[in-house]
Amino acid sequence: MTTARYDDIYRQVIELLQEYAPQPGPIREETELINDLGFDSLRVMEMLQDVEDVFDITYPLNSLSDLRTVKDFALQIQSIIEIS
Amino acid sequence: MGILDKLNAIAEARKTLLPAGVDPFNVVIDEIYSATEASIGGRRVLLAGTNNYLGLTFDQQCIKAAQLSLEKEGTGTTGSRMANGTFAGHRDLEKELADFYGCSNAIVFSTGFVANLGVISTLAGPGDVIVLDADSHASIYDACKMSGAEMIRFRHNNLEDLEKKLKRLGSKAEKTLIIVEGIYSMLGDCAPLAEIAALKKKYGAWLLVDEAHSMGVMGESGRGMVEAASVEQDVDFIVGTFSKSLGSIGGFCVSNHPELDLVRYICRSYVFTASPSPSTIASVREALRVIQSKPKLRTRLWQNATLLYQGLKDLGFEVGPDLSPVVAIRTPSRETTLIAWKALLDKGIYVNLVFPPAAPAGMSLLRCSVSAAHTVNQINCILEAFSELHHIMTERE
Repeated sequence: MTTARYDDIYRQVIELLQEYAPQPGPIREETELINDLGFDSLRVMEMLQDVEDVFDITYPLNSLSDLRTVKDFALQIQSIIEIS
Repeated sequence: MGILDKLNAIAEARKTLLPAGVDPFNVVIDEIYSATEASIGGRRVLLAGTNNYLGLTFDQQCIKAAQLSLEKEGTGTTGSRMANGTFAGHRDLEKELADFYGCSNAIVFSTGFVANLGVISTLAGPGDVIVLDADSHASIYDACKMSGAEMIRFRHNNLEDLEKKLKRLGSKAEKTLIIVEGIYSMLGDCAPLAEIAALKKKYGAWLLVDEAHSMGVMGESGRGMVEAASVEQDVDFIVGTFSKSLGSIGGFCVSNHPELDLVRYICRSYVFTASPSPSTIASVREALRVIQSKPKLRTRLWQNATLLYQGLKDLGFEVGPDLSPVVAIRTPSRETTLIAWKALLDKGIYVNLVFPPAAPAGMSLLRCSVSAAHTVNQINCILEAFSELHHIMTERE
């Protein structure tokens, strides 16, 4: 089990979102991927490949159904890192 | 907000198709003349987007078999096999499919889509893991979602990514089903199946191969990519369709695991849907015999595929990475694809127009599928039509 600092993950998530967001804009914890950043399923899938590489994790697609905000995303990644 | 509001985006997207004057996703075939010709919009058109790989939709033996069955057994089964009973033809086709693949078990489904939906969602469940190729067909994605299993994607045809994901699973690999396709439907590229099967064995996982576009097309005897890659003993489940090289409609799964026969008792897309009509089954059984007795059809198919694939490459088009009967041409933009597609139709050539998400990696494609029934002259006509629209493709880049 690995411990992962939320702040570090959050910072890296923001960098990835800035690169992939179809509608660029300010990104905060409560920012929503679909409603605020204009992500659709295809764009999310493209980003996930990079997310997996950056954090060296496997992101199960089932987790997408619980993903709404940037905070959700960072917490999901933290949880995956910690159980791997 | 009403339940129909979500369709507004579709209505807007459909408006962008209007400049074509024909809805490319709703083309009406007024009359069909043969496996390669039809009438669309009042003109005779050469069909180059049918998936009719062996041209068997107009095979006289298949038509005769269907006619005889229609007369003898009627137009339909009017229910599922669980409720209404199995016709002898269903049972016989299952036996013939099992024999064809050298497997002990087979199940026939009403379509290829529901074969994937039923088999995958029944085999894998909560607590299991599915590792699927990113470019898998929609039926595979839907089936994985329905299964309740943990769903993991690996990069298309990327062995390194697949291995990384299998390795991370540790002991869970034993409860993991890897899903790939023989030939991928949009770009026509082939799975590196020998290497995938080796990884499956190395990590103790299970392997399902969808041969929808490779059955009858690949392999010395037409048993698909599994035969071509010599991995028949390493593949746990093969799923396929009757609606492509077999020229009809329906789907199937074959396996050497005797438990496959139990799937039919709990598989919802088998239990709760009407079984294939007797005439459909009769034509499929005949087509399966044709596949085995006429290997020349496969030879002709590959000759035609080579002619079109190489011809388009020589014309400077960006085609898919592998030579196969699915020949996809990458286009610079959605707008160009639409204009080029309509220009081809105006020249009497029907191909498929593919936008994301049906096409992978955000691509827009003009997708051709070659048939053994195409003549060399017809392939040359397709090439000539493409050569005349080369300026459309380049001008708009």
